[in-house]
Amino acid sequence: MSDTSLIDELPGELLMWVLIISELLVFGAGLIAFMGVRLTDPAGFAEAQSHLYRTGAAFNTAVLVSSGYLAALALYWRQAARRGKARLALVGAALLGCVFLIIKGAEYADKAAQGISFESHPFFMFYYLLTGFHAAHVLAGVVILLFVAWRDDAHNIEAGAQFWHMVDLVWIMLFPVIYLLG
Amino acid sequence: MLTRAWLGLLALSVASAVLTMLHAPAALIGAGILILALIKSRIILARYLDLSTSPAWLRGFTMVLTGFAIVVFALYLM
Repeated sequence: MSDTSLIDELPGELLMWVLIISELLVFGAGLIAFMGVRLTDPAGFAEAQSHLYRTGAAFNTAVLVSSGYLAALALYWRQAARRGKARLALVGAALLGCVFLIIKGAEYADKAAQGISFESHPFFMFYYLLTGFHAAHVLAGVVILLFVAWRDDAHNIEAGAQFWHMVDLVWIMLFPVIYLLG
Repeated sequence: MLTRAWLGLLALSVASAVLTMLHAPAALIGAGILILALIKSRIILARYLDLSTSPAWLRGFTMVLTGFAIVVFALYLM
């Protein structure tokens, strides 16, 4: 099998796959760096992690995978020429993205109320950097989902959903490392 | 198929939460959490991102993510 046919096997937009791989590498490197720095102060990292709101973050996992489900359904419906249902699913996916951001915002506000900042501990530097960068992607994803709900060509929806699933995928790997591996 | 993937993802997320509540060696819980995350990521790749139609790519992504999880786990155990 030639390289060209292997590339052709990728579903959806090739450029979106380049983006997905790039983002996974960036977040992967950040998470490995986090685990590497953790070796210098495991007890301090565990103590810092105990200040995180795990239940909220776990709930956010359910929110994101449900949002991804709606985005995947939107593409399925659009390809079946059910435009109304597809648009509704995309708006629902975007709303769940907003729920994720609200919970994340409450989490940050709680940290601020406790006097926890970037400089409190290296754990929190990574925490704010990685979760903040991810939240920025969620915000961008919400805008993209609403945009493709408006300009609802099937290719647009496919590209928007691919971006959204990438955001989902990053969270699935980020959540256990930052919140659970104490 | 999509609905089954979504329900599977929710069930695996609940399983991760339950794992953290168990009184078991940290290494065991850590391994379990990472394995569940790997299964979840594979479901997203295969079903949401439709890589089930391209087994070679799905295998490639799974291998890279498994390598990542092994590195994270090794650093966790150090």
